[in-house]
Amino acid sequence: MLIELYANCMSLNPEHVTTRDSWLALRDARWRLAAFVIAIVGVALLRQPGPASVALGLAIVLAIVGRVPGAWLRTRLGLLLFALIPFLILLPFTVNRGERLWEWQGLAITDAGLIVAATLALKTVALVTLAFTLLATAPLHVTLCAASKLGVPKLIVQLVLLTYRYVFVLLDELSRLRVALRVRGFRNATSMHAFRTIGQVTGTLLVRGSDRAERVSHAMRCRGFDGHFRTLTSFHSKPADAFMFLLLVGATSGLVAWDVLG
Amino acid sequence: MIDIRELRYAYPDGRVALDGVSFSVAAGESVGLIGPNGAGKTTLFLCLSGVFRPRLGCVNIAGLDPADAAKRKQLPAKVGVVFQNSDDQLFSSTVAEDVAFGPLNLHLPADEVRQRVAESLGQVGMIGQEDRVPFQLSGGEKRRAAIAGVLAMRPEVLLLDEPSMFLDPRGRRELIRLINGLPGTKLIASHDLALVRDTCSRVIVMDAGKMMIEGPAALMKDVQLMEKHGLETPFV
Repeated sequence: MLIELYANCMSLNPEHVTTRDSWLALRDARWRLAAFVIAIVGVALLRQPGPASVALGLAIVLAIVGRVPGAWLRTRLGLLLFALIPFLILLPFTVNRGERLWEWQGLAITDAGLIVAATLALKTVALVTLAFTLLATAPLHVTLCAASKLGVPKLIVQLVLLTYRYVFVLLDELSRLRVALRVRGFRNATSMHAFRTIGQVTGTLLVRGSDRAERVSHAMRCRGFDGHFRTLTSFHSKPADAFMFLLLVGATSGLVAWDVLG
Repeated sequence: MIDIRELRYAYPDGRVALDGVSFSVAAGESVGLIGPNGAGKTTLFLCLSGVFRPRLGCVNIAGLDPADAAKRKQLPAKVGVVFQNSDDQLFSSTVAEDVAFGPLNLHLPADEVRQRVAESLGQVGMIGQEDRVPFQLSGGEKRRAAIAGVLAMRPEVLLLDEPSMFLDPRGRRELIRLINGLPGTKLIASHDLALVRDTCSRVIVMDAGKMMIEGPAALMKDVQLMEKHGLETPFV
């Protein structure tokens, strides 16, 4: 199970799918980040299936324009939809307004419930498509530098960068610990011994993580770190960046207006 | 270039890590620091680089005293440390960003930083790897990227802590070639006495926080001395 978790986390790494030459990827990361954040917030506010469907369509168009690898995106969206299944099944039963389409032993599916479930699915897929498109159109450190330039506190940016860098190292350690357990005959089970072992492994990981954090801090200080992350990444705005921003913000505003007024 | 007198350092729990260590290293010299686990080699490096503050003793490295706060700030520009585990040292998102980390902290102009990144990556044979993510590098590549990150600061003194750890024989051979081609003063802490033999003209033996003996690299031929300090002679 841990190996699968590890594999999934590794596959979450967007660096290997980052497209550098698409129209979206060539835009200034600050404009792109600002536009996508506004779009994501806008889509999250939608409550009607019509605007949500159009939002999903626009998100897919952006993914195509950003040349996000289809297979990479589909796999992740498939996993997301799989995780959504319980909610999509339960939601139609939980909304009591509207026409009852099917009823059994006091349980009823309503048309309003189906609409809520469909809207939730459309919105979630649209949101995640937008987020993955944002991640896949620039290396993570560039996006985080852009976030810093846009006023996100430097401490948060540094924490995300270091977490992203070291989560894979910790997962490697977890993988080694798992192998060490297996070769000594340990198998996952619902027993006190298994729970105690998992607790000890977690503790070991925490201690190792803490030791590593100290060593990383030493290495950073030895290279003159004074609390400020500096980077070679520079940004240059062009008219096309503002155009992309206005296009995306305009479309988002239109969808939100349609949702509220429509 | 390095002058240490009666250096003593104890951890917060009272354990003495360095106990009256004294030695000197001349400019341009390459010296091996050998000893078993717990001898105090890494602690000594952290004292020399200003990370740990010794209680007693004097240190002068590249003309700077790490005990002086103002001088300590200048240390990163003059003293480069390559750590045991390269994963501890490669914390940026790409190789180029990591190599640029030190020069940027020296407040150098972006153009000069880029030039230094290119030069350092060239020195360690990693041109074309600038955009790679550190966790995707092999052990040998990580080591070379870590060395490039230190070289980009153009230090006068290089402290290499167990540089051959995690390297396969090919990576180790490449590392020996690389170390021998590096300019400046080098202090190399290692258990890999064959690497020390191939890269250093002089060795210092440490054990239990104390400096036991120093002499030419041929000192490692003394089987009894090596065994006494938990080491094995590399001269077979």
